[in-house]
Amino acid sequence: MISVLTQLLHAALSSATPIALAAFGGMFSFHANVFNIAMEGMMLMGAYYAVYGAYRFGHWAYGVLFALLSGLALAMIFSLFAIVLKVDEFITGIGINMLALGWTTYALRATFKVKGAFISQAISPVPKLRLPLIEKVPFLGEVLSLHPFPVFVAIALAFVCHLILYRTTFGLRLRAAGEEPVAVASVGLSVRFLKFWSAILCGIFSSFAGIYLSLGYVTLFSENMSNGRGWISLAIIILVRGEPVPIMLMSIVFGILENLGLLLQRYAVPPQFTAMLPYIATLFVLYSYARRSGST
Amino acid sequence: MNTVRSVLQTAVAISLAFLVAALFILFQGSSPFEVYRALYEYGLGSWFSFTSTLNASFPLILTSLSASIAFSSAVVNLGQHGQFLWGALVAAVTGVYLKLPSWFGTAFLAVLGGLAGAGWAALAAFFKRRYRMDEFISTLMLNFLAEYMTLYLATYPFLDPKAYVPSTRLIRREYFLGSFFNVNIAFFVAVFMVLLSWWFLWKTWRGYEARMMGYNKLFATVGGCDVGTDTSLILILTGFLSGLGGALLILGGTQHRFMKGIGANFGWDGVMIAIMAENSVVQTFFYALFIGFLKNGAVGMEFETSVPSEFVMFLQAIIVLTLVGARSGFTSLSDWLRARSELRRLMKQS
Repeated sequence: MISVLTQLLHAALSSATPIALAAFGGMFSFHANVFNIAMEGMMLMGAYYAVYGAYRFGHWAYGVLFALLSGLALAMIFSLFAIVLKVDEFITGIGINMLALGWTTYALRATFKVKGAFISQAISPVPKLRLPLIEKVPFLGEVLSLHPFPVFVAIALAFVCHLILYRTTFGLRLRAAGEEPVAVASVGLSVRFLKFWSAILCGIFSSFAGIYLSLGYVTLFSENMSNGRGWISLAIIILVRGEPVPIMLMSIVFGILENLGLLLQRYAVPPQFTAMLPYIATLFVLYSYARRSGST
Repeated sequence: MNTVRSVLQTAVAISLAFLVAALFILFQGSSPFEVYRALYEYGLGSWFSFTSTLNASFPLILTSLSASIAFSSAVVNLGQHGQFLWGALVAAVTGVYLKLPSWFGTAFLAVLGGLAGAGWAALAAFFKRRYRMDEFISTLMLNFLAEYMTLYLATYPFLDPKAYVPSTRLIRREYFLGSFFNVNIAFFVAVFMVLLSWWFLWKTWRGYEARMMGYNKLFATVGGCDVGTDTSLILILTGFLSGLGGALLILGGTQHRFMKGIGANFGWDGVMIAIMAENSVVQTFFYALFIGFLKNGAVGMEFETSVPSEFVMFLQAIIVLTLVGARSGFTSLSDWLRARSELRRLMKQS
């Protein structure tokens, strides 16, 4: 029983990571009042370029570099349209998501000459980490140890993001730009510049989620492999109103659900039903959130 | 004057988009001239290409119509994908088992598919009314549920054991939609729905209320519109259109069965088209034809050049972004110029 539970939690932490990482990125946009829904596309692009870099240059570090650059590029495009040209943010976001889906599908075909998925022994995965001391602790050690490093980055980021948002000048200005843009402008700060930074952070974090997806969780790239995780991240951000630590906790809840599904498959529940669990959970969370805010 | 300006803007923006895409093709080592020539020849070049473009467009017309009516009423229905899938599945399954006279059966299946889509959208409408759950997230999540549920139904209970991919049996041959000079009747149904939607929005009081909601929800409420009922109605109505699109794809497409991946990207394409068309019903129709042309031409492009058909998806995204970017850029530029000339005038006066 305990071993099933530890396995479940170990796997849940793993599937929570990409959702949480992308959500931390979207969180900055949320606080800057930029409706950035491009996490899905940025994650997908990151996943593709992570595999590209790790395959071409034979080391995962290049994958990380390429992926982050791709996230940066998409964030620049987002800023160009949404902030410079003042296109509706929702429209820009959908456009970016589509651009990422189109480009990665095309590039997969054009570069690797495969359709659907690219799998190769030559892709170098992100290394798994052992935690020297915690590893020895009976239960906690088994849950926490032997994860690829982005998992630990995600956990650390929950706290780091909290500090950035509430303890630094940048965080204060960012939140102010979202809530009272006129006041921010009146003290001589550029609201557009702050919004631009929130988009950049969103690009970097989301593409980092993509790295974990294609070099950590599994070692391959398949078409549309982000599979709605960006949308779940968005739902989480809206539901917890952009609070970093609750984002992490909520992501873990989703991770548990996703893996509960995999567990149920052992008992002959069709995979299509178990795959639905995270989306049903999102609906349920939305329901309870609407109830809660309705009663006050 | 306004129409001329917007047509001109669109033409400039689309040319710009093709130029940007040409750079990418060059970068990839192919000749953009050849790619675009193949695109044109297979998408518009002959009567046959032209009619296959029309036949490729009808699902797009319906999903984009669905999105554009919803958005123009300030209802965020992003569930076209799920509604489309349910329409397709229900039509495909009943088309196998139900015995009806040919013409009646076809019409019945189409309506049934539409109702299936409407029912799926009604779920989001119910969530919204009863529990105040935002339709933006609920329709999205329902897309994923529909995807897995229809796939389950096609993989287990209604599986055709002889098929290579999860798919249902072929529907009865008498339900196949015929064509008229090679143009599938489904296309005419889609055109009819465009006309009907235009009539609904501009000539009925419900449509008027829907448009008022689109301008300003508060104003509509104060003016006496029942915003809750109108929102549900629009959700269900637009769900019907997407579902009908799915059903027609089964009846009038080439597969005549529900198979894995049949919904392709019709849902998101519909949303994109509605955005390009600024939610105007008439413009939506023409943009849907344009995207249909790209998709149909892409097959030829892959055939004749080394550029795979997936490139069109990227091209489409570039076109959308360039179009909305240029449009928005034009507006802010002209605003800026006007402000500057006004300022000059004022300075001269003083």
